[in-house]
Amino acid sequence: MASKTKTFTRALFAATAIHLFAAPAVLAGEVTVWFWDTKFNGAAMQEAANRYKAVAPDTTITLVDLAKADLETKLQTQFASGVTDGLPDIVLIDDLRAQLYLQSFTGSFEPLNGAIDHSQFAPYKVAVATVGENIYSLPFDSGVAGFYYRSDILAEAGYAAADMTDITWDRFIEIGIDVKAKTGHPLLSIDMANAAPFRMMLQSAGSWYFTPEGELNLVGNAAFKKAIETYSKMLQAGDTLWKPVSGWAEYTGAFTGGEVAAVPMTGVWITGTVKSAADQAGKWAVAPVPRLDIEGSVNATNHGGSSWYVLSSSAEKTEAIDFLAQVWAKDADFYQKILVDQGAFATFLPAREGAAYSSADDFFGGQTVWKDFSTWVQQIRPVNYGIFAGEVDAAILAQLPAMAAGENVDTIIENIAAQAKSAMQ
Amino acid sequence: MSPVSRILRSATYLGLGLAALISVFPFYWMLVSMTNSAVEVANGKLTFGDQLIANFQSLLTEVDMVRVLFNSTVITLFGTILTVALSSAAGYGFEIFRSRFKDHLFSLLLLMLSIPFGAMMIPLFVMFAKAGLLNSFAAILLPGIASIFIVFYFRQATKAFPHELRDAARIDGLNELQIFLRIYLPVMRSTYAAATVIVFMANWNAYLWPLIVLQTNDMKTITLVVSSLVSAYNPNYGVVSVAAVIATLPTCLVFFILQRSFVEGLTGGVK
Amino acid sequence: MQSRRTDIWGWSLIMPALVLLGIFMIYPILSSLWLSLHTGKGMNLSFGGAANILRLAEDPVFLRALFNTLLFLVVQVPIMIALALVFAVALDDRTLWGRAWFRTAIFLPCVTSLVTYSVLFKSMFAHDGVVNDTLMFLNFVDQPIPWLTDPGWARVVIIIAITWRWTGYNMIFFLAALQNIDRSIYEQARIDGVPAHARLLRLTVPMLKPIILFLFIMSTIGTLQLFDEVMNITEGGPADATLTLSLYIYNLTFKFMPSYGYASTVSYVIVVLVAILSWLQFRLARDK
Repeated sequence: MASKTKTFTRALFAATAIHLFAAPAVLAGEVTVWFWDTKFNGAAMQEAANRYKAVAPDTTITLVDLAKADLETKLQTQFASGVTDGLPDIVLIDDLRAQLYLQSFTGSFEPLNGAIDHSQFAPYKVAVATVGENIYSLPFDSGVAGFYYRSDILAEAGYAAADMTDITWDRFIEIGIDVKAKTGHPLLSIDMANAAPFRMMLQSAGSWYFTPEGELNLVGNAAFKKAIETYSKMLQAGDTLWKPVSGWAEYTGAFTGGEVAAVPMTGVWITGTVKSAADQAGKWAVAPVPRLDIEGSVNATNHGGSSWYVLSSSAEKTEAIDFLAQVWAKDADFYQKILVDQGAFATFLPAREGAAYSSADDFFGGQTVWKDFSTWVQQIRPVNYGIFAGEVDAAILAQLPAMAAGENVDTIIENIAAQAKSAMQ
Repeated sequence: MSPVSRILRSATYLGLGLAALISVFPFYWMLVSMTNSAVEVANGKLTFGDQLIANFQSLLTEVDMVRVLFNSTVITLFGTILTVALSSAAGYGFEIFRSRFKDHLFSLLLLMLSIPFGAMMIPLFVMFAKAGLLNSFAAILLPGIASIFIVFYFRQATKAFPHELRDAARIDGLNELQIFLRIYLPVMRSTYAAATVIVFMANWNAYLWPLIVLQTNDMKTITLVVSSLVSAYNPNYGVVSVAAVIATLPTCLVFFILQRSFVEGLTGGVK
Repeated sequence: MQSRRTDIWGWSLIMPALVLLGIFMIYPILSSLWLSLHTGKGMNLSFGGAANILRLAEDPVFLRALFNTLLFLVVQVPIMIALALVFAVALDDRTLWGRAWFRTAIFLPCVTSLVTYSVLFKSMFAHDGVVNDTLMFLNFVDQPIPWLTDPGWARVVIIIAITWRWTGYNMIFFLAALQNIDRSIYEQARIDGVPAHARLLRLTVPMLKPIILFLFIMSTIGTLQLFDEVMNITEGGPADATLTLSLYIYNLTFKFMPSYGYASTVSYVIVVLVAILSWLQFRLARDK
């Protein structure tokens, strides 16, 4: 027994010694990619890597899957420490955080406008990654918004597709209260920790938390005031309109479980989750996202989405950029494939001409959803997300109880602005 | 049994039963979720299903489980043994060989313990990068071996260690190291058991520091795997639950085995 | 007094740990203290002197986080430690049937995966979750309690969540310590007819004082660094009602525009609080 234990210990030591002190050397021609979500971003990247094999057989693309928050933690810790050893060559970054990274870790990313023709991508998506003259991203998946709803439940309450198309949020509230009263199904769920609705409403009006110059733009911003008023109205409607949820699992469970009859404030990436409820096939439809009831607001906006960036520290920069240029910025067929397989709706405009983008989807009652999204994605107003969106989000969320209580909207806006201002330093 | 003690006993069982039920429920739910599909989990299904094998297969195609468990096991075994050995010795040293200077030093250690790790993470990362130790087991293990928490625990627990035992051993001619190994260790069996459980759990579940220093797929630990599975846009909670159960069972097992040591130590008999 | 010879033994037992702590902590501590004197966006830092300390006083979010953290500390820690002690004493009884299973059951929460636990806690305390259903079925309330959407109730959920998760963990230390106390006094008191609660308060508690002190100090540090539960269950909301200092540090570093200097300053607020509270606890323990 004792000798057996010893042998085991020795074997363990031998196996461990390899990794105990030496970091394995990186292969030449190996391009490492950090991303989150194996089945979505990872699968798309894998498909691209497979296609690149035909172009450059000597380059290996290595995929490293991390949780989104974990990826950001790692990346930021390395940037802050100045240690580039172990950083990837290509990294996926959330559009909302892109400016923050580009501006607080200056020089960490490689401009790509020399190698990639950005006019081939949706303009709003390019704006997100632009600093001065330079464009830093290979724009990937879109967060183009859609208003997903259960056509069967709405029909039961007397609403047809035309009634849901190109409406305002005020009209949405009326319909929502009516549907809840008639069918018992809410059309909306609200998470008190989510500020995305405000961002979506603002961008639908081409407005944002900040001016294009980066100054706080809340007090005196008509779109922001309308957004606060609209959301306050929703909050005050309470049980007659929405179901409270907390966190992602409950949010998605509420509609996959058939209780909540719509997902009005989301991006196209939710399609996979909606379709995971196979028993609801044929009962869903997608309408354009509602707009704010003010001049200049359109029935299109964005929620989420991310893009690929190349790090300046990369030793395989040339290979990495070539890989992005040869597949991601060139291969329209590749985009058909990832749309069909992963439901990855990208922003490479030439891909819209492909067959997959115009196909009908039986899950959505034969609606040509991808074609609709392609139309909406072009209507999204470009805005500069700036570097302090997180701070303003937090300041808005802190005022949700005041909005629910029906306090004065101007006071609420002043409070939000005051907290945001003190956080923006 | 008298009627009073019978009532008391029933109340104890009732209280413990209720507490156990509340404590076990999430664990039960995790086991149930492991056997259900993603949609069933999201809809709160509370009974066992038939998706266990499918979920397992799905996990194995996404993750190199053997490699991941090997990494976690090595880190945890080395981390636990070294931490308990080194930190118990220090705790014993601080209590048995007390001096005013050592007490001051100890207060300083307690203050160091209260510094959030996040504040020290970046400079620590720089140190390991300069030493060329990134992406190695050494990088994970080294900063945690001297655990102020465990030193403090042993110092406090040692206050119950009878001085007569030590004096007797000295008269018998044992040197201080022999006293520590032959007298203190067996007497403090239950303290060691508790410390082992705690340190094992801390190493097995270690998250932030391994996340920062480990860089390649073949160095991933189970905690990091669970984390990345959950962060998908459309997480499959059935598969996540399989990984979560795998991530949980070893600590449960270690606890179940070691809790047997929580029986009256030698002290009671000696005194 | 120690003789010189034995004191060499004392130092040699302590030294390995001290050397490691010195190597891995001194530079990071000095570096983070130096960083706390800097301001700026991301890595574009400049020396700011006391600017960050002045910012603390005017930062409403910091003050909210400080208030919440201290509230959790004062309300939750005593409840948890008392419960842990009661469980430990009950589960120390040799004649108790199935005590290994009870012990393991009560220990389980702290190993249950954080992911599972937070998803489940959220659904249990949801508007139409099992907790509200039960309360309404028993006619304790006639409206569902807004557990996660009301600032006050969200704090209650967090306190329940931490207690649920950490009571069994604290129980282990008591269980281990109970094995090393002198049973003969206890036995004598039982024969003398001292009732159970009096034995617990007058005999067990004084004998466990070193461990109680240890657990109070560790729980103080743990609560001041409270992160997992609030991050995963409420994300600090609603309206910052459950935002803790640690979660705020995280936000300042990873969620907002990185303010490394200011985040470091908030970290040292925790250290100062621990220093004050530990000193108080040591004083109280000595006076008894």
